[in-house]
Amino acid sequence: MAMKTSDDRFNKRVSKELENTFMRGAVSSAQERFQTRRLQQANELGHWEEWRSHGEEIRQHVLANLDYYLYQLSENVANRGGHVYFAKTAEEATSYIQQIAEKKQAKKIVKSKSMVTEEINLNPALEQLGCEVIETDLGEYILQVGDHEPPSHIVVPALHKNKEQIRDIFKEKQGYDKTEKPEELALYVREKLRNEYLTADIGITGCNFAIAESGSITLVTNEGNADLVTALPKTQITVMGMERIVPTFEEMEVLVSLLTRSAVGQKLTSYITTLTGVKDAGDTDGPDEFHLVIVDNGRSAILGGEFQPILQCIRCAACVNACPVYRHVGGHTYGSIYSGPVGVVLSPLLGGYDDFKELPYASTLCGACTDACPVKIPLHQLIHRHRQVIVENEGRAPVSEKLLMKAFGLGASSPTLYKMATKMASPAMSPFTKDNKISNGPGPLKAWTDARDFPAPNKENFRSWFHNRTKGGTE
Amino acid sequence: MKVTLFATCLVDMFQGEVGKAVVEVLERLGCDIDFPENQICCGQPAYNSGYVQDSKNAMKKMITAFEHAQYVVSPSGSCAYMFKEYPEVFKGDPIWEPKAQALAAKTYEFTEFIVDILQIEDVGAHLEGKATFHTSCHMTRLLGVKEAPMKLLGNVKGLQYVELPGTDRCCGFGGTFSVKMGNISGEMVNEKVQNVEETEADILIGADAGCLINIGGRIERQGKPIKVMHIAEVLNCR
Amino acid sequence: MAGSIVNRDAFLSNIAKQLGRAPKTQLTKPVWQYQPQDRVLKDATKDELVAVLAKQCKNINTNLIVTTTENLATDLQKVVDYYGGRSVITWQDERFESYGLLPLMQTQWPQADIQLYIWDETQPEENIRQAEKANIGMTISEMTLAESGTAVLFSDKYRGRTVSFLPEKSIILMPKSTIVPRITQAARWMSQKVQNGEHIASCINFITGPSNSADIEMIPVVGVHGPIKATYIVIEDQ
Repeated sequence: MAMKTSDDRFNKRVSKELENTFMRGAVSSAQERFQTRRLQQANELGHWEEWRSHGEEIRQHVLANLDYYLYQLSENVANRGGHVYFAKTAEEATSYIQQIAEKKQAKKIVKSKSMVTEEINLNPALEQLGCEVIETDLGEYILQVGDHEPPSHIVVPALHKNKEQIRDIFKEKQGYDKTEKPEELALYVREKLRNEYLTADIGITGCNFAIAESGSITLVTNEGNADLVTALPKTQITVMGMERIVPTFEEMEVLVSLLTRSAVGQKLTSYITTLTGVKDAGDTDGPDEFHLVIVDNGRSAILGGEFQPILQCIRCAACVNACPVYRHVGGHTYGSIYSGPVGVVLSPLLGGYDDFKELPYASTLCGACTDACPVKIPLHQLIHRHRQVIVENEGRAPVSEKLLMKAFGLGASSPTLYKMATKMASPAMSPFTKDNKISNGPGPLKAWTDARDFPAPNKENFRSWFHNRTKGGTE
Repeated sequence: MKVTLFATCLVDMFQGEVGKAVVEVLERLGCDIDFPENQICCGQPAYNSGYVQDSKNAMKKMITAFEHAQYVVSPSGSCAYMFKEYPEVFKGDPIWEPKAQALAAKTYEFTEFIVDILQIEDVGAHLEGKATFHTSCHMTRLLGVKEAPMKLLGNVKGLQYVELPGTDRCCGFGGTFSVKMGNISGEMVNEKVQNVEETEADILIGADAGCLINIGGRIERQGKPIKVMHIAEVLNCR
Repeated sequence: MAGSIVNRDAFLSNIAKQLGRAPKTQLTKPVWQYQPQDRVLKDATKDELVAVLAKQCKNINTNLIVTTTENLATDLQKVVDYYGGRSVITWQDERFESYGLLPLMQTQWPQADIQLYIWDETQPEENIRQAEKANIGMTISEMTLAESGTAVLFSDKYRGRTVSFLPEKSIILMPKSTIVPRITQAARWMSQKVQNGEHIASCINFITGPSNSADIEMIPVVGVHGPIKATYIVIEDQ
């Protein structure tokens, strides 16, 4: 799966997802649970705003000195016997990983959850070589067995599926014959995957935070799948977006504390694992060979520009869980593996406006995302900035809208014209007005009146009233 | 105290009653109101849609229209916040940036002005009913005005207040979003009205005309017996 | 095995170029403006930290036992019995002897038909085979984090990673002397080691309760890939 997850037009995706009542119910209750837990944890921790500011200063410092820290990281990984490969593009990354798979004659590859491997479309590249690639995160495994459906949430990929649908996927594809109880489904997957870990040739992981000072990578899970993926196969490949790095263990700790609270409302997840290089001399579990693939894939073009703050992102999905638009349309509407506000900002930057130019408009600029972000990314401002780029630099705004805005500019440039327009509003709208309201509006107003009434313009506007009234109060 | 009213175009065109209430409440509190005739729209619809350059003309007109003011007061957190954005828009402009800063510094949302500047929390209003309050996003998150409306409503005699479930969630207005993404916006406002109904309130109060036209339009469409009022209208009840 | 680095120079100079400067080769980490992490449980005594740990264990589906060195063997036996006995895998670790556990492990367990397997650095495949089929995995915490209810484990040739992951049940011994407020102290300890040029374990686990997932309808399920049940035993060792 590449970053783009659908060829349907944006409006078609919206209409389709708005009809998905199970998904919408699941998303809204998930949002509430996530939000409540996040706020409760922030509260219990105390001084949350200081934590956010600390997270922000760390991420900003790292981005401003990214080349230094990546250098340090790569030196330290190599000192511990690891191979570091810097990949400028998705293709460079996948072909390097293909080469390793071929060299190892890998038949089976187990993977723990990683957004960047989705982004670079890694699985098909490996399957092309005849490798069996198995996702081990429960949610991702469900989607993989269910005909490689795209994830609809960064943290809970199968959020849009209910347990009956999940039972049916396993029944249809693997002959599962038990109930839809989550415990039974999870136990089934546990047994199914246990053997896969033990027999896999390569384990592939993403990376939550690389630690420059030690050459370590940190993996954050609740299931423990990343630990089995890295402890059992002889070869470990870790793929990281180039910005996912911190200077030392101390900053790792701060960001992990922010991540687990913001993502799932936990003080720490069950498994936080810091892996350094290949296994130590004499160790009998852990990898003999370790490759760290550091991926650019469009990130460096974001550096140094006004969208740089989006690279502060730690993929917690707190913005997704706070977004009132995501709440109704779910993850698939975005047509990108990155959904919600972070997806709105990131997808056009990494994937281009051709595929993602509608996303910046899928926001009311309400700022809930910015408030929720644990590293203080000004998400709603970046969304607004995208709109400006689309209109002013890319010239992609619809002609009708452009004319409207030009008229606005003209009207606004002259108080006389403006006053005339506001006076004209009432007579102009009178054919559509009934009982002092408009229920079936013309032009762009139709989209409004499909769901609600619009007030008829006042016959006497406020300024005339003010002008005409006797000065000195109305008591 | 001299107060210069920034009425906003929604109030000017659609919600004249709100503007009148603002004037009457502020006058009762001893303010002397002036309304610069040259005020137009703050530019937010174009600005938020990405037409930043095209919106600058309107902004300059507004800066000029309010140049003389001591305090600029607006019955909309969203439009007041737009004034606060002006310095960012004119950043680096030797003439307009300082002017924009001066305007931003003297601009207040209506309830914020009463509580923080006039230092009044009880305006002597009286309204019987069970009410809930919609906290507008721009006013609470961007402008940071959270407490003022609550303090004022808390002192309205006869008013029983019920908290709105999901109170901090956007109603789906979002300016041009409401027509650009009309179907999503419709679902959002539908949920908002459901939440309002859950409170069993007979009055919905808000402090931003945009949100109120949106939520009120849905209530009207569904024929719900819920009265929609701007906070200025509530405070103007005696 | 020696490591390698490919494509670094071009990659990093492109980053520097984007940032509008020459590649950076020297840097001192700044003194951070904010340091909220030191305030958490700042003046708590060890006893208070144990109380925090006990409370947190309720949130993470983990059973907590606080015991003395004298009673450790008896209490450990109770947990092993509760977990159904059968088979235990553990590390090769001299601390078991210092805790007086050898009679239990080496004499009583075989008599009670509880199989004990001790990690053997000469038997890589057997280690995994045994870990996979063991009912219980037993490990020792190097540092215990009160706030989150976390054990810190270091791997080495005598202490396999999978002992804490493959068996269905996990028992972690936590010397009370190892308890600290939170992960901050553990991170600082690791960072100190790195700065002192010490070797850090290739695998450091921060383990907080049993394996779990909420991937199906957000319903919490305990025990997905790793242990299904977990018990911490805090030993009063000071």
